[in-house]
Amino acid sequence: MTRNAASVRRRLSLDWLSVALVLGGLLLVYYLAPLFSLFVSASPGEVLGRLADPGVRSAATTSLVSASITTVLATVFGLPLAYWLARAETRWTTPVLAAVVLPLVLPPTVGGVVLLTVVGPNTFIGDAATAAGLPLTRSLAGVVLAQTFVASPFVVVTAKAAFEGVDRTLERASRSLGKSRWTTARRVTLPLAAPGILAGVTLAFGRAIGEFGATMMLSYYPRTMPVEIWVSFVSLGLDRAYPVAILLVAIAVVALLILHTVASNPWD
Amino acid sequence: MGLTLDLSGLTKAHGEFDLGPIDLTVDEGVLAVLGPSGSGKTTLLSVIAGTATPDAGAVRLGGRNLVGRPPEARRVGMVFQEGALFPHMTARENVEYAASADGRVEEFATMLELDDVLDRRPPTLSGGERRRVALARTLAADPDVLLLDEPLSSLDAPIRRRLRDELHDLFASLDVPILYVTHDQRTATALGDRLAILRDGALEQVGPPEAVIRRPASRFVARFTGTENLFDGRIVDRTDDGVQVQCDLGLLQSGVSTGQPSAVTVCVHPSRVEVQARDAAGEPGTANAVSGTVARYLNVGNEYRVDVAVDGRSATLSTAVRPTTFERLEIDAGTELDVQIPRSAIHLIPEPPVETRNPPGEH
Repeated sequence: MTRNAASVRRRLSLDWLSVALVLGGLLLVYYLAPLFSLFVSASPGEVLGRLADPGVRSAATTSLVSASITTVLATVFGLPLAYWLARAETRWTTPVLAAVVLPLVLPPTVGGVVLLTVVGPNTFIGDAATAAGLPLTRSLAGVVLAQTFVASPFVVVTAKAAFEGVDRTLERASRSLGKSRWTTARRVTLPLAAPGILAGVTLAFGRAIGEFGATMMLSYYPRTMPVEIWVSFVSLGLDRAYPVAILLVAIAVVALLILHTVASNPWD
Repeated sequence: MGLTLDLSGLTKAHGEFDLGPIDLTVDEGVLAVLGPSGSGKTTLLSVIAGTATPDAGAVRLGGRNLVGRPPEARRVGMVFQEGALFPHMTARENVEYAASADGRVEEFATMLELDDVLDRRPPTLSGGERRRVALARTLAADPDVLLLDEPLSSLDAPIRRRLRDELHDLFASLDVPILYVTHDQRTATALGDRLAILRDGALEQVGPPEAVIRRPASRFVARFTGTENLFDGRIVDRTDDGVQVQCDLGLLQSGVSTGQPSAVTVCVHPSRVEVQARDAAGEPGTANAVSGTVARYLNVGNEYRVDVAVDGRSATLSTAVRPTTFERLEIDAGTELDVQIPRSAIHLIPEPPVETRNPPGEH
C-alpha cells in the first residue's frame, strides 16, 4: 500500500520532470528550427554571390562598424550610470531607472520618431550638426544614434545588476586598505562585475546589429543589414532576402564570439 | 611608539537604538569590545573606519580628528568578518594590493605561515587560512590602528583556539591600538588587555578582564561574562570587615564594605567557589557554606559545570568543578555536597533586583 503510493509519487515526480523537459525542449526547437531552415533555404553559392554585391558588402560594413561604435558608446556612457544606480542611496534611482528602461519598452519606430524630433532635419541640433558637416540623419552617425538609443539600456540594466552583485564589504575593505574610490572601482568592483557587464555588452551589440525600426526612421541610408534585408524582401522577394539574412546571422555570431574571446582573455 | 585612538562623545543613530555616546581611549594594547549581536559593535567599528559617519563626536588618532576624512585617508586597518578577501585575486595578490612597500608580502606571509597558500585563490582556502590572509593584507597596509570584527567567528573550535593563541602573540608584537570586537567572552578575555562591555549601543563597563569578570557593574555584565549565579539580596548588617546579606542562598558574609544600598544583587562566579563532600571540615570564618544536592552536571570541556540545588530553598548554585575534584567526590545527580563560598567570591551589584523591587516606603 505504502510502497504503491511511493511508486505513484515517484512516477508523478518523474512525469513533472518530463513535462518540464518537453516544455523547455519545445521552446529550444522553436528557437533553432527557423535558423536551421533559413540556412538550408539558400545554398552557400547564393550567399557568397550576394556577398559580391557591393550594396550588401556596404550594408555589412555599415552594420559592423555602427554596432561596434554603439557598443563602445553604450559601455562608456552606460557603466558609470549603472554603477551610480547600483550604489547611490537616494530615492532618485527609481525614476532614473525608469528613464533608462523607457527605450526598451518603446516601439523602435516610435523611438526613431522621438529622436527625429531632436536631431532630425529642421531641428536646432540637426541643422547645427549638418552645418558642422556631421549630419545626424541619413549618415553613419544617424545609425549609431538610433542603435545607441535602443541598445544602450541593456548595458545599464545588466551592469547595474552585476555591480549590485558585488559585496560592498569588499569595497569597504579596499578603501580601508588606503585605496581611493576610483582605484577600488577599477580593481575590485569592475573585475568582479565583469561577467555580468560582458553579458550586457553582448546583449547591446546583438540588439544594435539587429536594430531596424529606429534606424529606418533616422537613416535609411547608409543601409544596415536589417534595412538591406527589408529592401531585398520588398523589391526582390523573400528568396533574395534569405542570403542577406544568413550573412547577418553569421556576422552577428562571429562578432559575439570575438567579443567574448577578447573580453575573457585567457592570457590576461 | 604607537598613536592613541581617542573616541569622545561619539553617537550614531542605528535603527532600534542609538550608538553612544561613546567615550573611550585605546592606547597601545588590545581593547576587546564584548557585546551580544546587535549591540552596535560593528557600527562602532564602521564609524572609526570611516564607512559610516557619526552623528556627533570625534574620532581622534594621535590628536587629529578623523571624522570627515574618507576611509582611505585614515590609516585605520580593518579585519572583516569572514576575511572579505578579493575573490578574483590570489592570496599573494590580496596582500600585494594593500602592501605599502615591496617585500612586505613575504614578511607577513612568513609571519602568518602563509607561504604555501600564497598562489591560491580565496575560495580554495580554508576558513583559518582566509583569516590569516586577511590579517596579512591589513597589516601590509601598515595601519596606525587595527580594528578586528569577529575574525574568529564560524571557525571550528580547534582552529579558533589555535588562531586565538597566535593572535595573542601577534598583538603583543604590534605597537598600535587594537580594537577587537566579539560576542565571545572567552575570546575577549583571552585577547583583551582591557574589556569593554557594549549593550544596546552604550558602554556598560570598561576595565581589565579580571576586574570586569570578578566585579561586574550590572546584572547584564555578570550574565554576559559567565556569572549565572545572580540572587536578589538585602543587606541586613554592616560591620567593619564586610556586610551580611540575606539572599536565596541564605545569610552570607561578604568581604564587601563599601556603601551599598540595602537592595542588591548577589553575584557568585561559578569558578570562585569550592565544592566539598557533605560535612567535610571547612574553613570556618573565612567562607560561607551552603548545602545542597547535585541537580545536574555538564562536561563543558576542561571542567564540569555542576548545578547544586540549595537545601530547603528554591535557588540553584552553578559551580565550576575540576575533573580531579569531580572524580574524587564521585559526583552524580543527587550527590549531596557542601559548597564553600569565600567572602571574596561574593560581589554585590548595587542594582535593585528588577523582579522583586518593592515600592518605596514599604521598608
